Amino acid sequence: MSAEESPSLGTNIEGDAPDVERAVEADETTYTEDADLERTLGLPGGLAIGVGTMIGAGIFVFPGLAAGRAGPAAAGSFALGGLVALLVALPTSELATAMPKSGGGYYFISRGLGTLAGTVVGLSLWFGLVFATAFYLVGFGFYVVDTFAELGITLGSGLVIPIALVFGVGFTVLNVTGTENAAKLQNAVVALLLSILVVVLAWGSADALGVIGPASPPERFLPFGPFPVLTTAALVFTSYLGFAQVATVAGEMKRPGRNLPLAMVGSVVVVGILYVVTIFVATSAFGSVELASLGETAMVDVGRHYLGDVGALAIVFGGLLATMSSANASILSTSRAVYAVSKDALLPRWASRINLRYGTPHVALGLAGGPILVLVATGRVEVLAEVASFLHLVLYGLICVALLVLRRDEPDWYDPDFRTPGYPVVPVVGALASFALIGFMQPLSQIIGVGVMLATAGWYAYYARDVSLKGALS
Amino acid sequence: MTRVVVPVAVLENQAVSLGLVDLLGTMDVTVMGYHVLPEQTPPDQARHQYSDRANEALADIAAEFRDAGGAADYRLVFTDDKHASVRRIADEVGARSYVIPGATGTIDRLLVSLSGDVAADRILEFVTDLVGDREIQVTLLRVGGDEGDTSLAAAQSQLAAAGIDAQTVSATASNPLDAVVAAVPDHDAIVMGEHAPSLRSFLFGDITDRVAEESVGPVLVVRRDPPASE
Repeated sequence: MSAEESPSLGTNIEGDAPDVERAVEADETTYTEDADLERTLGLPGGLAIGVGTMIGAGIFVFPGLAAGRAGPAAAGSFALGGLVALLVALPTSELATAMPKSGGGYYFISRGLGTLAGTVVGLSLWFGLVFATAFYLVGFGFYVVDTFAELGITLGSGLVIPIALVFGVGFTVLNVTGTENAAKLQNAVVALLLSILVVVLAWGSADALGVIGPASPPERFLPFGPFPVLTTAALVFTSYLGFAQVATVAGEMKRPGRNLPLAMVGSVVVVGILYVVTIFVATSAFGSVELASLGETAMVDVGRHYLGDVGALAIVFGGLLATMSSANASILSTSRAVYAVSKDALLPRWASRINLRYGTPHVALGLAGGPILVLVATGRVEVLAEVASFLHLVLYGLICVALLVLRRDEPDWYDPDFRTPGYPVVPVVGALASFALIGFMQPLSQIIGVGVMLATAGWYAYYARDVSLKGALS
Repeated sequence: MTRVVVPVAVLENQAVSLGLVDLLGTMDVTVMGYHVLPEQTPPDQARHQYSDRANEALADIAAEFRDAGGAADYRLVFTDDKHASVRRIADEVGARSYVIPGATGTIDRLLVSLSGDVAADRILEFVTDLVGDREIQVTLLRVGGDEGDTSLAAAQSQLAAAGIDAQTVSATASNPLDAVVAAVPDHDAIVMGEHAPSLRSFLFGDITDRVAEESVGPVLVVRRDPPASE
């Protein structure tokens, strides 16, 4: 813990060196020098984190927004986003099985590309999750208002932000004071959600394809040309941010060599298929112009179109569950990101303290909750989503680069259980696609994203210039 | 020598009673310090902050066990499932038994339950090792009508052969839990077998845990499966 023990790693401005522990990773347990760390998450838990985080935003908030921008081809935007996610999920899986530690993408990049890239990515990941959580919470606010509307109580959209703020505080407090069995609850929520969606979508697809009822006249697939498909893909990429969350809990997953790739790739595939079908069904129910006018909760009207009030209620309920589980999962991941960075002496040690009363990392959770509330207050759904995407896309691109670098050097400790198929094409295309998607965002999101990255680089120069992490793995 | 795992919630100030330390003087002991974490907390983060403190306390507890007689070491585990960790450690160190520590004074009287689907031979072997040549009274208990592979009389004579005088009680209660709990008041500690997981234990918790809760004193649980290694 002190500088004397590991002089080669350097110290930050406070004299702390990274805490690099000799550890043996077994399937069920990590053995360190002074304690055993039980691995507690199975494959269902990993899939639930991936699917649960992704499904909220994409299906329940984006259809209206995406259709307004790209027309029926919004389905193509989602497919493109899913493809990029898959190209990144494969390299991420390989790195996660080689380094099954808390921190996920940050960990891989700091070990593969060094401290500067690590700091920028680690802190950006924290901010990225903060932006994503704020986005989920605002979506949740819309769904609460709609739930009451379905029950005949009009709250008006003015209450969306206050509701989102209240629940943001609620989730943070809940996470600090401890939520026993929340993982099991999350699994149940995700299972319920998938059932609801599959029923609505199966019915909707049957109808849209003319199996039941009259066939709807096909709309022009690309009313605005191909360019909006790309910009929309950049926007909706937020829907796929969940698979990286699986990597942040890599240190807690049983049989990481098998379960990490399955959970990451599996959740991207499941969610990607659901998204594409959803958009297809949604744009078949209404024209894309009408769909766009329905806004953040357009899916409720899609549900009503096919299954009447029952369908609307099912979707409203699903939307509540989904946005809630996304927000909660992201707050959890944020505190892990803060921990991973602070353990490496890139943030002060106190940022990752946990309290004995509840056993929770209250400082890190506070560092997540505070900024989230500020961002929620802005209420800018699209910008929040895009900045979250921006910061994650940088992370994803660099993960692919880290894989290329590590594979070229192949240090002794690098021994992944899973190897990316199609290497080196997959990581190269994954990196290029990730960086390219950033180019299709609104200027405001790009400016905020670049600003965040510059700020994190400035923090590195000020605080942790002398810390060395590259290849620091035992 | 026979090894026993003693789990201690080390960061919650759980202490091991002197009576239990004395009782286990005939055994080798692995003190398993554990801390149960909520899912918000990566185990590594807790280790980072608390392992020094916890290991210090564990070294002291292990020293107490060494002073009482046997060899003793310790392990520290951060987990969200205490039971899984206890079983894993017991397998790894080849322990015959694990303990649910409770509050007790000097242990003079031992209640040994042979009820239910348990390996009576393994329990009796363990009791023989545990008692050794000490003056500890043993009561063998079985629920009436539940005559397993080993009858109470056979069990009694098996212990007698090792120089241990045991009383036998054939309980009338309808299930092992009630029978054991009803017999507890005259005893200081309980030895019982590990039961196979069942729907009942899934719903209400392991029977050994429920006995420990109701009886206050320590419960020594003899493991089902032969230790994987020694």
